[in-house]
Amino acid sequence: MHRLDSRTKLLATIAFTMFVIALPPASVSMVICAAVWPVAILVAGRVPPGFVIRHILIVSPFVAVLAAWTAFYDRSMVHVVFGPFAFVTSGGALRCAGIIGRFVVTMAALIGLVATTRFTDLLAGMARLGLPGILVMQLGFLHRYIFLLIDRAEHMLRARAGRKLRNLGLRQELKTAAAMIGTLCLNSIEMAWRISTAMQARGFDGRLHTLKEMRLGRNDGVFAGATAIFLLGLYLLARGV
Amino acid sequence: MAQAVEVRGFTFGYTDTGAVLTDITLSIEHGEKVALIGPNGAGKSTLLLAMSVFIQGSGTILIDGIEATRKNAKEVRSVIGSVLQNPDEQLFMPTLFEDVAFGPMNMGLSRQEVVARSMRAIATVGLAGMEDRPPHHLSAGQKRAAAVATILSMSPKIITMDEPDTSLDPRSRNNLIALLASLEQTFIIATCSMEFAAALCSRAILIDGGRVIADGPAALVMSDAELMRAHGLETPAAFRDRSPNH
Repeated sequence: MHRLDSRTKLLATIAFTMFVIALPPASVSMVICAAVWPVAILVAGRVPPGFVIRHILIVSPFVAVLAAWTAFYDRSMVHVVFGPFAFVTSGGALRCAGIIGRFVVTMAALIGLVATTRFTDLLAGMARLGLPGILVMQLGFLHRYIFLLIDRAEHMLRARAGRKLRNLGLRQELKTAAAMIGTLCLNSIEMAWRISTAMQARGFDGRLHTLKEMRLGRNDGVFAGATAIFLLGLYLLARGV
Repeated sequence: MAQAVEVRGFTFGYTDTGAVLTDITLSIEHGEKVALIGPNGAGKSTLLLAMSVFIQGSGTILIDGIEATRKNAKEVRSVIGSVLQNPDEQLFMPTLFEDVAFGPMNMGLSRQEVVARSMRAIATVGLAGMEDRPPHHLSAGQKRAAAVATILSMSPKIITMDEPDTSLDPRSRNNLIALLASLEQTFIIATCSMEFAAALCSRAILIDGGRVIADGPAALVMSDAELMRAHGLETPAAFRDRSPNH
């Protein structure tokens, strides 16, 4: 998996994600079938399950809240048959399970892509696929400087903790948080100006050049073909052919 | 042959803070290693920015005979390379190699030439084998060396550095001094660290309040304890014995 061209993996992940999103809202069984693809990627890429679960859990609260709302929204009862199992549940619960299932499966696919592809290769792949250079560059900067920003935020939090000897109350806490966010923003703007200076000093004229060589190999063809067949099979299954 | 840097009557100021540099006149020969010394806020960094055409004031700055104006900015920046104070702001590409290759690629060189120059620059600063490392995974000393490599790969005649030894431990500082001493380019180094300036530079220009206060051999300028004290600086250990006020 790690040796495949980033473009192949990126396009396959996009195709897979779009397919899963396009599935009917309550088709939990199809989502479960679709899970085979990311699981295969993660196994082939030797991505540790703990890593995948941890990263899915980090983002899950946002989707979980959204999914929970749908459970209350639709209270009509539906009869569900899944293999040898048959039970009655509400339409909302089924939709909720569908949303969570789709989120987990697409996130797993995305984690599979990111964990088996170096970020620089991913950026180069995006550029070769015709994504605007300015967008690719912004993503590169985001990846490069997010660590510095987090580092600065941690330092500020540490400095605050060192001087915060009692509970200040919600109002004061919010005021402090707003000041810290403001300072971080100002720091970021100043840093952006200095980075721009460094780029111009080295002849940057708005166009990003790259030396990265990318070649599609036989394995890329096999992977793309297998993904296409898998998605076609799922499509036919969904249509009940 | 034109001088590396020639500044004639240069004055610059911000609207809110007034004049930062006033009537600066100096010239630097090719191959010289010059320390711009002075307290914080003296105007050292501003002068370096003016040399690389990031700010413009009144008066004239010639870089290798080319006037430092917006019109000539590209030409000037191909002759003079700037190493910023914070290497994290200098190293913005995802890997060390891509960062070092950034400048040569913008110069429109062939792929072969870009690779050759970048590999040579990385080897010169002692980071061979680390080409694929993300810059944020390098140590402070390695980042500083990498920042120098990003400029060396463009083969400039003149290199300016702003506070290059900030947050370096003694070993990293000595490595950096050895590296810079081994290079043939003209160096203009703005620093508050007298030890660093004394170890590397043969000439010192003392700036304070936006004016040139003293300009001469580093040993002579920096051994004047009274002069140094008057401008919030200190005499480096290497020159203490030579101080007339010792």
